[in-house]
Amino acid sequence: MTDVLMAILVAGFTSGALYALATVGLSLVWGSMGMLNMAHAAMLTLGGYVAFTVITSLGLPIALGFAGAIVAGAVAGAILYFAIVRNLLKNDKSTFEANVMIATVGIGIALENAILLTYGGQPLKQPVSIAGTFRLGPLTLPWQNLMIIAVVVVMMVVVSLALGRTRMGRAIRATAQNRDAAQLMGVAVNRVYLQVLMLSGALAGICGVMVSSMTQLSPPLGNDPMLKAFIMCVVAGLGNLPGAVAAALGLALLESFVQYALGARWGFPSLLFVVIAVLIWRPSGLFGRAEIRRM
Amino acid sequence: MTGAAAKPPVLQLDGIVSGYDGLDVLKGISLTVDAGEFVTVVGPNGHGKSTLLKTISGLVPLRGGQISIDGQRLSGKPHETAMLGVAHVPQGDMLFAQMSVLENLLMGAYLAPDKAVIARRLDEVYALLPKLADRRNQIASSLSGGERRMVGIGRGLMMGGRILLIDEPSLGLAPLIIDQVYGVISELSRAGRTILLVEENPARVEDLADRLHLLDDGAIVWSGKPAELMARDELLATYLGG
Repeated sequence: MTDVLMAILVAGFTSGALYALATVGLSLVWGSMGMLNMAHAAMLTLGGYVAFTVITSLGLPIALGFAGAIVAGAVAGAILYFAIVRNLLKNDKSTFEANVMIATVGIGIALENAILLTYGGQPLKQPVSIAGTFRLGPLTLPWQNLMIIAVVVVMMVVVSLALGRTRMGRAIRATAQNRDAAQLMGVAVNRVYLQVLMLSGALAGICGVMVSSMTQLSPPLGNDPMLKAFIMCVVAGLGNLPGAVAAALGLALLESFVQYALGARWGFPSLLFVVIAVLIWRPSGLFGRAEIRRM
Repeated sequence: MTGAAAKPPVLQLDGIVSGYDGLDVLKGISLTVDAGEFVTVVGPNGHGKSTLLKTISGLVPLRGGQISIDGQRLSGKPHETAMLGVAHVPQGDMLFAQMSVLENLLMGAYLAPDKAVIARRLDEVYALLPKLADRRNQIASSLSGGERRMVGIGRGLMMGGRILLIDEPSLGLAPLIIDQVYGVISELSRAGRTILLVEENPARVEDLADRLHLLDDGAIVWSGKPAELMARDELLATYLGG
């Protein structure tokens, strides 16, 4: 029984760590910009493929594969800002939320199809993987899962320090809490938006490497984590970063337990049940504020 | 005749027009504020006082006329206006609600050149508003109305700007707290700060302001010394309801 419980916990924490990484990227953009980035899934996929290319095609070390994924995600975020977001912000701000959502759906589809044209539709194996297990007394823990959890923890600490301790992070939090007041303090909010999209893109890139290391690379790779990340964002309360991490871990553990107890096909419906219940009981999310600041 | 050119005013407004959507709220306002001066704009609610300060700081776009700080024309972008030394203490405080008092104050010093300057300004703010030092780790949303107003003023002071724009500091506060807030503003004025303050009640600034402008329906209808306005019952009755 202990073995089963540990297997569920390890699977739950691993999924939770991956979901948390995807969720934080989405939540960061929503919280500071009021923007639902529907291209996040494609940015995640892009990171996985760039790491694959760097390691397999260029023959470079795995660390450079990670770096490539981070850079590709950040550059994709910057392109998204300059090509779409900056222009939409010049128009009527009251329509920004709807317009940017539709525009990023298009960007996501275009990017996914560009990946399909470049790499083909057949699944590819992500070379970022560690075989074997780690024994801790009676427990057997796969190295791959431990690596994913470790990478995600490091990323969370980096993001947390960046937001909490740096001037850039203070500007991002200030903009998220009160855009006008941030501008009065001298914060160039457009630069903050660019930084947020690059940071979110970098997190998506890393997440893509991690997700594909557990499954396989394919053009729609990011869709499932993105959908679940969106559910977790809603459950936590859109824009709430610590809440998003807590929701990601909690719901991933729930999914793992339900999959074990009721069968794999009930995992996703259980998440939908939770999000519906939360939306009825507490529409602003478990950790969200009732009032959400808009552009 | 001396060769030295006269220094431009710290703030100069020349016929500014601004508003929201299709409506002009300010209809050609001109005024100046010199270094060390305390100028007040009074007027009834909804006649453009807050819009005036928001237009100066760039939150409301300028549709006509021009605004200069120390002779330099403003771009209309709020962050660039802040860089030129405009410190706006907005109505309703507009604090960063989920940040601590200290973090709010540090956001005021966002443009400060180095840590030594930030530390010096923080010492000055704590000396003027000692309660903020006691509350430094408290989350802003948990503060009382008076404390929030003090944080707003402290944050404006942390900007170290050339001119302080203060929007209705008495709004929504108990009389005792209003006296405390105006006590702080009075100290700032005595210390030589350049201040442009908007207020509904001219009696609040009678003993403080050097000059006063009466704003009605987006236009300045009277200018002079505060005591002169207080002696004009017909003006008070017509524009400020007695």
